[in-house]
Amino acid sequence: MKKSSRLSLILVLVLAFTAILSACGGAKKEGSAGTAGNQEAKKDVELIWYNIGTPQKDTDLVMAEVSKYTSEKIGVTVKMKQIDFGDYTQKMQVLTQSGEQMDILFTASWGFDYVQNARKGAFMELNDLLDQYGQGIKDTLDPAFLEGSKVDGKNYGIPANKELPAQDVWRFNKQWLDKYNLDITGVRSMESLEPLLKTIKDNEPNVVPFMIDRNFIPNLPYDYIIQNLPLAVKLDTTDYKIVNILETPELKEALKTMRKYYQAGYIASEVATTTDNSDLTLTGNWFMDRPTTQPFADNLWTASLGYPVVSTPATDAIIYNWSVMGSLQAISANSEHPVEAMKFLNLLNTDPYLRNLVDSGIEGVHYEKIGDNVAKNLDKSRDYDMPTFAIGNIMLTYLQEGDPEDKWEGFREFNEAGTPAPLLGFNFDSSNVSAELAALTNAKDQFWAPLMTGSVDPDKYTPMAIEQLKAAGLDNVMAEAQRQLDEWLAAQK
Amino acid sequence: MHRVSHFFKDLHKNLPILLMVLPGAIGFILFSYLPMGGTLLSFKQYRYNGEGFISSFLSSDWVGLRNFKFLFGTNDAYIITRNTLLYNAAFIILGTFAAIAMAILLSEIVNKRLSKLYQTGMFLPHFMSYVIVGFFVYSFLNMDKGLLNSILERFDLQTVSWYTTPKYWPYILTLTNLWKTIGYSSVVYLAAITGFDRSLYEAAMIDGASKWRQIRNITLPLLKPLIIIMTLLAVGRIFYADFGLFYNIPRDSGALYPVTNVIDTYVYRGLKTTGEMGMTAAAGLYQSIVGFILVVTSNYVVRRIDKDSSLF
Repeated sequence: MKKSSRLSLILVLVLAFTAILSACGGAKKEGSAGTAGNQEAKKDVELIWYNIGTPQKDTDLVMAEVSKYTSEKIGVTVKMKQIDFGDYTQKMQVLTQSGEQMDILFTASWGFDYVQNARKGAFMELNDLLDQYGQGIKDTLDPAFLEGSKVDGKNYGIPANKELPAQDVWRFNKQWLDKYNLDITGVRSMESLEPLLKTIKDNEPNVVPFMIDRNFIPNLPYDYIIQNLPLAVKLDTTDYKIVNILETPELKEALKTMRKYYQAGYIASEVATTTDNSDLTLTGNWFMDRPTTQPFADNLWTASLGYPVVSTPATDAIIYNWSVMGSLQAISANSEHPVEAMKFLNLLNTDPYLRNLVDSGIEGVHYEKIGDNVAKNLDKSRDYDMPTFAIGNIMLTYLQEGDPEDKWEGFREFNEAGTPAPLLGFNFDSSNVSAELAALTNAKDQFWAPLMTGSVDPDKYTPMAIEQLKAAGLDNVMAEAQRQLDEWLAAQK
Repeated sequence: MHRVSHFFKDLHKNLPILLMVLPGAIGFILFSYLPMGGTLLSFKQYRYNGEGFISSFLSSDWVGLRNFKFLFGTNDAYIITRNTLLYNAAFIILGTFAAIAMAILLSEIVNKRLSKLYQTGMFLPHFMSYVIVGFFVYSFLNMDKGLLNSILERFDLQTVSWYTTPKYWPYILTLTNLWKTIGYSSVVYLAAITGFDRSLYEAAMIDGASKWRQIRNITLPLLKPLIIIMTLLAVGRIFYADFGLFYNIPRDSGALYPVTNVIDTYVYRGLKTTGEMGMTAAAGLYQSIVGFILVVTSNYVVRRIDKDSSLF
């Protein structure tokens, strides 16, 4: 008895000691790493850069190369941390709110919401830094970007120089067009698609004629106040009156068409819960869909899909708030090196070598040059595939094989041809109605996808949706938005 | 003075046991007591100032009960509360019955190897993430290619659009939950049953008691304290719905919200875009308080009926 209790005592002591020892060991390791970091910091400033995108195998390798270059040029080294598209918003919310150390971070209207987080204080105000260290950015960037991405009159992010307006197109899988000798000239409205869809449905039972997912919304001539909520003003508005999109005749008409297409089997039956159509794009078993375009997008799509596609416009090219804020790099409010961060962003947006290094990886490893500014991906490029639009000025990047010589000229023309949306420059401040927004999001999610994809009868469900949204406080939010919009309009004059 | 020396004597005597408790206690303090300070966040509008969490927390404005408003402000409040409570009550009752039945059945299997096989088979779903289970269910319920609709078609019956028809979902969700949890919970009961004194059963058999009689008069009474403890613990979490189950199994289908929206999914959907920390903290605090009240009252009820079986 006595022996066994002593034994257990020894056992417990041993356990406790190992616990303490391992804790010490861990602490020591961390400590030494910390001091090593400090020693390095005396020479170079290390910038921590959070970026959107699937984490790549060779990111550290390329960043080491980047650091070599930037260390020489501006005395900084760069460490990039990538978070996948689907997780970015939520993980960044937690990281910024808990004060995680970072210097530069990606933000956009659709990922880690730029306006909201600027208002919450996640980003550093950049106007002075831009004037002092960002002259290169100011010179190269279309002024509409910096102007359009102001929040309450101040800049909190450096927009990527890319396409400014948003334009949706009908994109067709060319093999089916050719097989049935279909003509897409004259296609523009959703109704005009019907004969094409019908041909495919009748002849190709394994092909999904109209490939959409649960986030699909028919194109309407309206400009939304908040993304994903049914509050909008008409594109050609003169009185700036906010309406509930569900109550408009245009939507009613569009939903009728969607319902017809759904019932005819032009749309996949499980569309209301579908988040991803990559099985279809991989096999090519789809006829048409509706992506947002950019100049020469057909080349880009054909290259990435591996089979030819063609497209024709579905909407006009319009400059919306959300298209201007489609991709920005901000400096974190808790950055200890804002000056160096701005210097780096300036270099990234003006230096073709650095920009292409970050974008395509190391020459000779990930890509090879086949012309003065034309690059061709090597097999290793699979280990370093970055979202080009997310990391600054895309007009510095090398052309891909098959791109036209005047690609960037095409972008400039496209940007100039865009017409501004009525709400361009107006950013709704939701902090007064955050409780209503939480309830509204729930009410909206309940009806949105089934209605918009034609999965349910619009005549029955639209009134229900309107009623539920009203119960969740839509009128309050609408009144608040109208008040802010009127104030903004008055200030514009 | 006397008291102090008594304390040290006590400490010395119980040292091994106290040391054994230590790691658990430290973990508990670090991960359960320390974060309780964070509940204060639910009364603040959290805004960061760039100098870390504590500093941002202190500089944020107090907003009173405003963060709780979104939970009660709408008619959704009734639906999500009802769904959460009823589903969890069903899971507790059916789950306990099924787990005990399974445990008794398993304990009666003479072939130990077979018994282990069944047990492992039933345990397997416990390790599966609800995301994967969601795809299992989807392969049954897909409208065009799903197994169930194929069978219905075979017999010339009307196929069902499962993901837009709410009325079937209470059964589907309950079934999925049972399938996933039963293996794990029956192990707890099985462990208790194998520990029971065999001589009781032998004596009963000599007296000519049938198997059913043995179960009713020996196994179940001996299991009672354990059943009560397990149920009390489950009642404490009755206001926490399993997010994975209610979000991934119905594939977040809007048409099913009336029967699948629970507190956790409601909070997630409401706040995924705005990311208001204060409001998420408020929802968590609300769930904890209700859970606390429920545990204390049900424990009180148990104590009134049978003092020895209560938790505290």
